Amino acid sequence: MSNEITREPTIAAEAESKAESKAPAGFGRKKFALDRFVIFGAFVVLFILFSVVAKNFFTMRNVLTLALQTSTVTLMGIGVTFTIITGGIDLSIGSVIALTGTVAVIAANAGMPIWLSMVMGLVSGIVCGFLNGIMVTGLRIPPFIATLGMMMVARGFVLTITNAMSKPAPDAFGHLGNDTLFHLSSKFPGIGYPVFIMIAVAIVFGFFLRKTRIGRYTYAVGSNEEASRLSGIKVSRIKVIAYIISGFCAALAGIILASRMVTSQPNGGISYELNAIAASVIGGTSLMGGIGTVAGAVVGSFIIGVLGVGLTMSGASFFVQQIAIGLVVIGSVSIDQIRYKKK
Amino acid sequence: MAEVLLHVEHVSKSFPGVQALDAVSFELRRGEVHALVGENGAGKSTLMKILSGVYRPDGGRIVYKGREVRFQNARESAEAGIGIIYQELNLVPHLSVAQNIYLGREPRSLLGYIDDRKMNVDAARILRELNVDIDPAVRLNKLSISKQQMVEIAKALSKDSEVLIMDEPTSALTETEIDELFKVIHKLRSRGVGIIYISHRLDELKHIVDRITVFRDGRYISTSDYASIGMEEIINKMVGRKLENLFPERRNLPTERKLLEVRNIVHGTVLKGISFDLYEGEILGIAGLMGAGRSELARAVFGADPRDSGDIIREGRKLDIRSPSDAIRNGIAYLSENRKEEGLAVKMRLDQNVTMANLGEVSRRFGIISGARELEATRTYVEELDIRTPSLLQVINNLSGGNQQKVVIAKWLFRDSRILIFDEPTRGIDVGAKYAIYELIERLAREGVGVILISSELPEILGMTDRVLVLHEGSLTATLRTADTSQEEILNYAAGLGSLGAHGASAALAASASGAGAPGRNAAPGASAR
Repeated sequence: MSNEITREPTIAAEAESKAESKAPAGFGRKKFALDRFVIFGAFVVLFILFSVVAKNFFTMRNVLTLALQTSTVTLMGIGVTFTIITGGIDLSIGSVIALTGTVAVIAANAGMPIWLSMVMGLVSGIVCGFLNGIMVTGLRIPPFIATLGMMMVARGFVLTITNAMSKPAPDAFGHLGNDTLFHLSSKFPGIGYPVFIMIAVAIVFGFFLRKTRIGRYTYAVGSNEEASRLSGIKVSRIKVIAYIISGFCAALAGIILASRMVTSQPNGGISYELNAIAASVIGGTSLMGGIGTVAGAVVGSFIIGVLGVGLTMSGASFFVQQIAIGLVVIGSVSIDQIRYKKK
Repeated sequence: MAEVLLHVEHVSKSFPGVQALDAVSFELRRGEVHALVGENGAGKSTLMKILSGVYRPDGGRIVYKGREVRFQNARESAEAGIGIIYQELNLVPHLSVAQNIYLGREPRSLLGYIDDRKMNVDAARILRELNVDIDPAVRLNKLSISKQQMVEIAKALSKDSEVLIMDEPTSALTETEIDELFKVIHKLRSRGVGIIYISHRLDELKHIVDRITVFRDGRYISTSDYASIGMEEIINKMVGRKLENLFPERRNLPTERKLLEVRNIVHGTVLKGISFDLYEGEILGIAGLMGAGRSELARAVFGADPRDSGDIIREGRKLDIRSPSDAIRNGIAYLSENRKEEGLAVKMRLDQNVTMANLGEVSRRFGIISGARELEATRTYVEELDIRTPSLLQVINNLSGGNQQKVVIAKWLFRDSRILIFDEPTRGIDVGAKYAIYELIERLAREGVGVILISSELPEILGMTDRVLVLHEGSLTATLRTADTSQEEILNYAAGLGSLGAHGASAALAASASGAGAPGRNAAPGASAR
């Protein structure tokens, strides 16, 4: 009915707007692209810099290795971005990596088909995410605390069931992490499966966040939870979905990691969550919620990845890398702050 | 005649798009209580923020104790002896009363750590002077709002201010507390403190005020001795136009068809069994004082707050409303009084806000949003409601209050809501934009929408509605036909006095005519600024 109200007197206006409807979408879209361009530009600059400074940095083999190594952080960064956009956080993903990889390896060693064992791993990650979501929504535990608890519980659990020992997995378990597509020569050793998984996840979740109702509601909940609730959005459901996505992405990373090593890694993934959060933040996600993109998380992860590999190849120690990554996190957020203040 | 303590000369201040103050002047003598009155947006708060160093003026000068001053920040003005009690509480809930009073200037012991004992003793002395029974060691958030307000006052007093600015100090106080405050004001005045007193409750001015200055739309209008000016004259100066022209003409009558029947809504002690009907094409007002349960009633009907019992019936069918999404599905919409906190996702874009309650309408299969359809819908409403925005993709934060309100309305129109509950729809919105909102509400009713209008401004209720529900402390005290009632009658029922009696209602009438009524403590931050 209100549609009638609104349509009736605007026939002229509508005709007008149709006349100019080629321009309409333009109506201000460019500004957004610019914001993201800054961070992507930083990535390109870093890449060029290391190509000049470090010999062998810009070789096909190295670039492929870089992509392969960065895939785990990227996957985690994409997942954790969802929780941060809702105004939360997920600290448990480092432990979830260890748990899911270990679950998959145990399942494979118990004689399950490899694919099924990996599905088991994924399921365990989804369960962790679901429990996080329930704690945050049902029990109203602050996300930092809930996922901190989960981080400890999951780590303790995986250490208990394995007695803190790495176990080798069947050889077939290693295909996912170590095999490549498009193997041509030793110069082009092919692109690892994890890289394809990473690209697929980035595209699917990027689209999901940007283009679907649930994605839109994710932003809305983070931007203004009460306004979202009063608009009829089921806030709890959206949050639980965000934590499940985070758990799922971490599980993918965990399985890939276990597969690359062809062993379970109950001690693996410690403090990985911090790298993932850093990647997300470098990519422009706001810890206050409501702001962030999958593309940003991907670029942020690659900045961390390039810094790590580039500095290593330039001869810098692991400790110096830590300093560099820390400075990049602080720097990128201060640039954001200055930019917002100007507005 | 006492010495002039503070002289504001032709001070101007503008914000992007608003001339908040246009060469206003103001004078405060030692030992006087000087009232500053005006409608929302008259510029009172802006001037206070300039005096207290929060804003710097664009032009004009301020002479304080014979010297021109330019305060760079709040600290400088406080040190110079200008104290301010803001309408919103500026206290730290988790600290003790004494810690709040001396926040930032704690007394130190010889060794440099905080001397808690001295702090508590000093705080107790100030509180005693105020005649309030508050333990200085108790944590602030254990106190009622009115007691917290007294702490705020104690804090300002503790600074030995020579100029004290009080911005709506009584809005949360009880009668006895107000009396105590007035005693304190008298005491301060006899001590030679100059007090600038801002209040919408014109009735209370007669107890304390020496002179009164009126601002309107950022301009200085007049200053008079309070004794020589009548209430009516003050109001005319404040409003500066005939009240009748403020509202669009009602061009339809409600139909006989009941759109909504609300039966016996109970929620704790807040709502004590309220029933009412809403007809198609009707504008139904809800009036009442602060704390009467107006917003709570709306929120209970909308499912935003739980209710203990009560039925909501639409077209003969009982609705099972347990959450806002249930209400929305049944065509009910609620436009919260706190636009920024509860109505909009301010970091998100205009188009995203317009479609937020009805994304399904612009989505394809699998919940994928069609950007083109979203823009099309947004464009329709931007044009329809005349939302002034540089772009359909504008971030909401950058729009003015009036335009933000229109975005909220657009959101619910796009949802095809048949029942719209407006909670203080014009709070913090400038006069021109108000009229546009009123026209819109009138047009909605003409199209057959049932409108519930909650308002603290009685002129708004009288100018817009067909019927009025009057609430008092959670009970419905009257259902009145607007055409047959008056401000006095509504106020009597709102005060719980029953039908028309004498009881000082006409003074309160003036208060509501000032266009502000009882400002809520949790008013949107943007509402009281400027």
